[in-house]
Amino acid sequence: MSNLIEMKKVRKTYKLGETEVHALQGVNVSISKGEFISIIGPSGSGKSTLMHIIGCLDVPSVGSYHLQGEDVGKMNGDQLADIRKKFIGFVFQDFYLLPDVTAWYNVALPMIYNRVPPKTRKERAINLLTEVDLSDRINHLPNQLSGGERQRVTIARALSNNPEIILADEPTGNLDSVTGEGVMQIFYKLHEEGKTVIIVTHEHYVADQAERKIQLKDGMIEDGG
Amino acid sequence: MDRGFLLESLRSAIEAIKTNKLRSLLTTLGIIIGVTTVIAVISVISGLKTQVASSFSTLGANVLYVQKYPWVMGGAGIDWWKIRQRKDMGMDEFRALKEYGSSFKYVAPQITYRYDVKVGNKNARGVEVVGTTEHFPEIRDQGVKLGRFLSLDDIRYRRDVCILGQDVVNTLYPDENPIGKQVRIKGRILTVIGILKELGDLMGQSMDNVVVIPYTTMAKFVGHRRSITITVLAQDEEEASEEIRWILRRVRKVKPGEDDDFSINSSGAITKQFNELTRTMFIIMIGIAGISLVVGGIGIMNIMLVSVTERTREIGVRKAIGAKSSEILSQFLLESVMISFVGGIIGIFLGFSLTKLISTIGNMPFGMPIWSIVLGFSFSFFIGVFFGIYPARKAASLSPVEALRYE
Repeated sequence: MSNLIEMKKVRKTYKLGETEVHALQGVNVSISKGEFISIIGPSGSGKSTLMHIIGCLDVPSVGSYHLQGEDVGKMNGDQLADIRKKFIGFVFQDFYLLPDVTAWYNVALPMIYNRVPPKTRKERAINLLTEVDLSDRINHLPNQLSGGERQRVTIARALSNNPEIILADEPTGNLDSVTGEGVMQIFYKLHEEGKTVIIVTHEHYVADQAERKIQLKDGMIEDGG
Repeated sequence: MDRGFLLESLRSAIEAIKTNKLRSLLTTLGIIIGVTTVIAVISVISGLKTQVASSFSTLGANVLYVQKYPWVMGGAGIDWWKIRQRKDMGMDEFRALKEYGSSFKYVAPQITYRYDVKVGNKNARGVEVVGTTEHFPEIRDQGVKLGRFLSLDDIRYRRDVCILGQDVVNTLYPDENPIGKQVRIKGRILTVIGILKELGDLMGQSMDNVVVIPYTTMAKFVGHRRSITITVLAQDEEEASEEIRWILRRVRKVKPGEDDDFSINSSGAITKQFNELTRTMFIIMIGIAGISLVVGGIGIMNIMLVSVTERTREIGVRKAIGAKSSEILSQFLLESVMISFVGGIIGIFLGFSLTKLISTIGNMPFGMPIWSIVLGFSFSFFIGVFFGIYPARKAASLSPVEALRYE
């Protein structure tokens, strides 16, 4: 079976003012469907850049990236947006929920861009919130929710278009350890249901819960690629 | 465009405006002032035009008033001194026009004086007494509502008969039928043979304070000493004017190359003059409105740039969850159009109120043409799009990675 994610000799260079930053320097990554992966490394190791490329928010400067057999590296902005919409659900450290709409509307937002009919949107959003134990928070605004609840709304939002991959960037970074543990339980459950879960973190106790760890240092993979 | 997405963009735009109510209102002030000015100017001028047109329509279409002086003095190249030196308009001119004119339907002289008209001790003061011919009703488009008008014999035999206007009837014979009764003008007794249909007001003056008598009878009081008006009902104003000029220049012996020493007045000519006057006013006001609309547009652009910067992260998130650049562009464009549109609506409302106020104070007919509202809406829409496109493109072209990273 071919790999879901296949990266070969990926380099990423970007300019920060006058200086060139070589964030990734020849990275090979293969990930199969249904894997539970953690990407770990100190800050500046290039793990954010790797996550951006896996998540199709950015493209490699050099090298190739195939997602489910498709050459993502050659796609334009709109094609990448399409891929993100259908294949990838993002979970951010700072949640990034729209502050002025309810929990269910936040969950439904990706479905708006995916042209899902309104009735289906709301139904599905409520189902997803129920799945993450927030059935009593459906009509709450983000500022009426705790950090853990917000992160679970974010996860529900990530699931709304039923993507292949869940991509989480420091999902427990802003949570206390107990709440963080609860969030990790949800990722584990998603993995068991067959989703491919990729968590980017700098904390070893988080990374250790994954099936496989990819360790990055100075833009190169030390272990686990 | 998809309905769900459109509704989401609308919701987001309304939310953004609601969150920054004061900022949005201040931003839209230029649009409000611009649209208010446009609406008020168009409405007031159109109201004035309606008033002028309806007033002068009582003078009759295609009626030319051949006179010594023009009705309106104005414009460059008018030599007032020369106009004052003109010869009086007299019966010779009337006879010439009647004899040689071929493009007129009717020609009639009007010799007008103001006299007191009396019955017993009742006195109608300062009545306009008009000496004319049997063609007066056709030319003025004003017949009698009771009795009869002047006949050819009345004129030929200089009969002492008269037709009264309604105002004079109201003063002298308020409770009885005046026909067959008598009135006194300058000591002369005249028999009432008819009552004129009412005309109403022209520029605030009653047109019904009038008595019509044969011009030959008029000559008994005044002789032919005074400049008269010759009224002409034309088939075609231009053609008739040319013919009048041709005839009168010969009768009055105007040398080739010299200016006419008479004036051909008409309601059409005065309307034209009025339109020229209002056009200047119109252009100036539209200029002012245009400037405030542009200033308003720049305000919108400025505030939208601020909004895009403030919401960089939101743009990043929207892109991450699958929004295309075109969808981000639409969202922000809709927001700027909406700000502008709200300004347009307030402006239309204020323009309406202002026009209402002016028309009430100035005692003018209230007219707000539908197209001025359409114009107000189109202006605000156009400004919203034109000045919103740059900030919206800026938002749309943000790279998702940089937008998410933005602090």
